[in-house]
Amino acid sequence: MSQSLRVVYSAFRMAMLHWMADPQWVIPNIIAPFVFTTVALTLFKDSTGPFGLYAVLGGGMMGMWGNTLYSSGFAIEFEKWQGTLEEVMAAPSKLIHVIAGRSVSNALFGLTNMIAVLLIAAAGFRVSLDIANPVMFSVALILTLISVSALGLIFASSFVLSRSAQALTNGLETPLYIVSGSMFPIALLPFWVHPAAYILGPTWGIDAIRLATSPDYASQSFWVGMDPSAAIILDIIVMVAITLVYTAVAIVLFKAVEKRARIKGTLVQA
Amino acid sequence: MQRGDAHGNPDLGKAIVAEHLNKIFQVTKGTFRRSKTQVVAVKDVSFEVDYGELFGLLGPNGAGKTTTIKLLTTMLIPTSGDATVLGHNIKKDVTKIRQRIGIVLGGERGLYTRVSAVDNLRYFADLYGVPKNVRDKRIRELLEFMGLWERAHDRVETYSKGMKQRLHLARGLINDPELIFLDEPTIGLDPEIARDTRKMIEDLVKKGKTILLTTHYMFEADELCKRVAVIRNGEIAALDTPSGLKKYVKDACVVEVEGFGITDKEVAKFKEIPDVLSVSADLAENKQVLKIQTPKGSEIISEVQQILKDSRIYDIKIKEPTLEDAYLRLVES
Repeated sequence: MSQSLRVVYSAFRMAMLHWMADPQWVIPNIIAPFVFTTVALTLFKDSTGPFGLYAVLGGGMMGMWGNTLYSSGFAIEFEKWQGTLEEVMAAPSKLIHVIAGRSVSNALFGLTNMIAVLLIAAAGFRVSLDIANPVMFSVALILTLISVSALGLIFASSFVLSRSAQALTNGLETPLYIVSGSMFPIALLPFWVHPAAYILGPTWGIDAIRLATSPDYASQSFWVGMDPSAAIILDIIVMVAITLVYTAVAIVLFKAVEKRARIKGTLVQA
Repeated sequence: MQRGDAHGNPDLGKAIVAEHLNKIFQVTKGTFRRSKTQVVAVKDVSFEVDYGELFGLLGPNGAGKTTTIKLLTTMLIPTSGDATVLGHNIKKDVTKIRQRIGIVLGGERGLYTRVSAVDNLRYFADLYGVPKNVRDKRIRELLEFMGLWERAHDRVETYSKGMKQRLHLARGLINDPELIFLDEPTIGLDPEIARDTRKMIEDLVKKGKTILLTTHYMFEADELCKRVAVIRNGEIAALDTPSGLKKYVKDACVVEVEGFGITDKEVAKFKEIPDVLSVSADLAENKQVLKIQTPKGSEIISEVQQILKDSRIYDIKIKEPTLEDAYLRLVES
């Protein structure tokens, strides 16, 4: 295992240890998804077609999205609270590898969030969980999680310097959730919002997840008229490309903020 | 012990060479009308530390000790000036320096309190790239050395302050560093634990480690350090052996006044007397102790009694200056 991967794994392990040590995980991972699912199913209760499952997916995505984005941004804040950020930044390993490890763990929490929503919907609301293409559904779901984590990395970099970065992620959580089409199709949004939707990796991931869930969604997909399997692959290719751009941007930002912190002494004052 | 640069760069023969280091921070003031001011944290600091030496940076809070450490450990970039640490340049060779040094910033924070000491050390061992085949053995050795092995798997939040400080030290040694930076390692500790910590520091020097220690306790620097730099307002005011620092007070004696009810105003009055070189006031048990450095000796007693006529005076002694007096003189002058 390369040193970079070792650091990512170690940070992942440390995050998991903290997760297990703190029973508060129940709130974002069980209670919040339950609320999202209930609200979503109530909103769509009179609709026909596979809207129940769409609503569940939307609720699950919302919980997953919020959990991952919030937690990725929170990764730096957590180090500040513990007073360990200086020690971590003084180590020879790169800070982005540490935060990436935490982001991966957050993505995993996000996945438990989605699974909790699906189970609650199936057991509590008797929503059918028939998924047309389970393999592509799983692939799209995992890649969407990674894409959200990569976006979280970009937000995390701002936490190195700013004490009020939490406001940034809190403020952006709902707009990002709406713009990415988690709850309803982007076609319903004003046209000027569309460019913002297209540069979000999870937008394409959600499209792929819905296509994999039900072929009926094909008429609302970005790839109208295309074979659903081919459309899913195109969605995934676009999402992976955007995620790679996010990762590159995060690497550049982390380098820049680390240098800035060393010049301005922001960490000293944190 | 490996010296200099692993890539064949010349060995400077010194563990640390700091040359005219300066660090200026920009501070923003005000909410609506914002203005920027500059704070000089470190000013023209130059010194050298030999391999195997325990070197002390001594100074009051806010003097620039921690900023100097952060510059040398690559956590901050100097505004101007330069330094080499173990033969590596602090601006260019960041990773190489970090791999070979240990940093102990101290205090109760800086540890993951929800997990065990072993998990803390394992995490930092991974961050420092300690080979996996030596990691677990070293963690055990360090925890045994620090007397923490029996509680190694307990959550750190259940540790006492002294145990946390020892864990900080263990963390700073996890990569078996050649050079260790200790930032006020005994601050806030009770006397017994502070003494144990000093003993551990001495043991590390015996093991061949180079140590740069910051402290604001003169007696600690006196007990541990081969040489001491006294830092004041970001500048080095003196650099010598602890006993060599005494020359800074050889022209004076100390008038020590024990009393009660001595006000800041009265202390300030002493500073206005010609030939008074420094004045310090401390609380000791149930009394105040005023130390006045002056070449006038007993000649000043009548003035002391006059200024303190409204306070209670228990005793007045004329003493030979100690190292602590030298320190007080240096940081107050």
